[in-house]
Amino acid sequence: MSSEPLLRLENVGKRFGGMTVLHEQSFSLAPGEILGLVGPNGSGKTTTINVISGVHPADEGRVLFEGREIQGLPIFRIARLGINRSFQVPKCFRGMRVRENVEVAATFARRGAADIEAILAETGLASHADDIAGSLTVNQQKMLDLARALATNPRLLLVDEIGAGLNPAELGGIATLLKGLAARGIALIVVEHLLDFLNRVTDRVIVLGAGRMLFEGSLAAASKDPDVVAAFIGG
Amino acid sequence: MALLEYALIGGILYGIFFSLVGIGLNLIFGVMRIINLAHGQFIMLGGFGAYLLARGLGLNPLFGIPLAIAGGIVIGYPLYYGVVPRLQKSQDPEMLSFILFFGIAQMIEAVAVFAFGADQRSLPQDALGSGNIGVLGQEFPDSWWVACLVSVLAILGLYLYFSRTRLGFATRAIMADRDEARATGIDVDRVSAIALIIGIALAGIAGVFVPYLIGSVSSSIGDGLTTTSFAIIIIGSLGNPLGTVVGGLVFGIGTMLMQTYYSSWSNLAPYALLLAIVLVRPSGLLGKAVRRA
Repeated sequence: MSSEPLLRLENVGKRFGGMTVLHEQSFSLAPGEILGLVGPNGSGKTTTINVISGVHPADEGRVLFEGREIQGLPIFRIARLGINRSFQVPKCFRGMRVRENVEVAATFARRGAADIEAILAETGLASHADDIAGSLTVNQQKMLDLARALATNPRLLLVDEIGAGLNPAELGGIATLLKGLAARGIALIVVEHLLDFLNRVTDRVIVLGAGRMLFEGSLAAASKDPDVVAAFIGG
Repeated sequence: MALLEYALIGGILYGIFFSLVGIGLNLIFGVMRIINLAHGQFIMLGGFGAYLLARGLGLNPLFGIPLAIAGGIVIGYPLYYGVVPRLQKSQDPEMLSFILFFGIAQMIEAVAVFAFGADQRSLPQDALGSGNIGVLGQEFPDSWWVACLVSVLAILGLYLYFSRTRLGFATRAIMADRDEARATGIDVDRVSAIALIIGIALAGIAGVFVPYLIGSVSSSIGDGLTTTSFAIIIIGSLGNPLGTVVGGLVFGIGTMLMQTYYSSWSNLAPYALLLAIVLVRPSGLLGKAVRRA
């Protein structure tokens, strides 16, 4: 694992209208590292990955990927640089077949048929490859969303609440998959409410509350931090 | 029986041509979710292009095809970047595009009246062949067969574009989900601009044959062609360009049957079909819901 940060946020802020939803966020991420983002609803977790992926450009500060400023770049350019994401509500090309969904992404990352089959197998979708994407269950669509993101050959993958609604066996499979991706050098930011799940994939989390970074460190330490406890249960 | 054969074969020829008439409108709607009310005016420009080449320069009207492609590039590229990204950022891009392209249609028509007058213009009847070609004993002018052949080639070309090229693959992805396409690394604006160029070029190519299939081209022909195109793409499948072929065939055969048996009612045929389809199967014969309510 290289010590050179792959991603660095420097005092990033984001406003919607008159409301500031992210305040001076600064953190970095190394290749192959998994970072958990936790916090109550509305704390800014999804906004953080929206800012990194270009869905919502930062209003303040800098987002650097491999030392290059990327805030303000169009989403497709950020995707081509090697940052991709899955969505909280899974998105896919619903009218296209599962394999075609992955092929579209793979085509633009110049990856071949063998890569596509490997990704379908890795995400458990090989047996659904010829199904129409819109006919999949929500959980399968989440995996397809992840498969589509993987096919773009990302070096940074942003995963937004992939665990919601999954049973323990499925969560175990996802945890193994995410750790496997990290072992291949892909950095991951995992937004999640399921702390047990997060505990299985990473020991470094950032806790957000009302758009501010409250804590950075291990989950175990976070649970003893008074600011974190106050953000989660009030105080 | 001979009358029925005539209506069916003629309807297929007519329908395939009208698939080309409608397909550009459907492509543009499918990719950009904008309603190009100037579609008929772009067809009209294609007709006048062929007219200028044939009557002004003495060239075969088929040279209007490359002219239509060039026109698609010259008009489509600045039109996309000047208008569409702003439309997409609005609260209701479909309604705003409706109003905007209505204005563009009126501008094109006004310029056409200024340039060509209000008279109907025809092309040399023998330019696409002076004979007839018969099938099952039913003969149709060479120009109808040429129009049908060019339409088939254009539609086949579009099919190959969708199924065999990276840009076509990206176009299908954008038609499925514009935001997801962006997140996948597709330059949605570039691909959409190319789709607009193709849509306008296909309209222009259809226009080259309008004087043969309809009898003439005039500066006021655009609105009627836009309405007919809408009927065809709604019958087939709104947002699915290749569904236009089904709509075109239903329209062509329906119109020719009515012209053969109840000619005074024939103009009603496409709209009666449209009403029936909208009532029974609102998404079109091949369609699925394309618009989120």
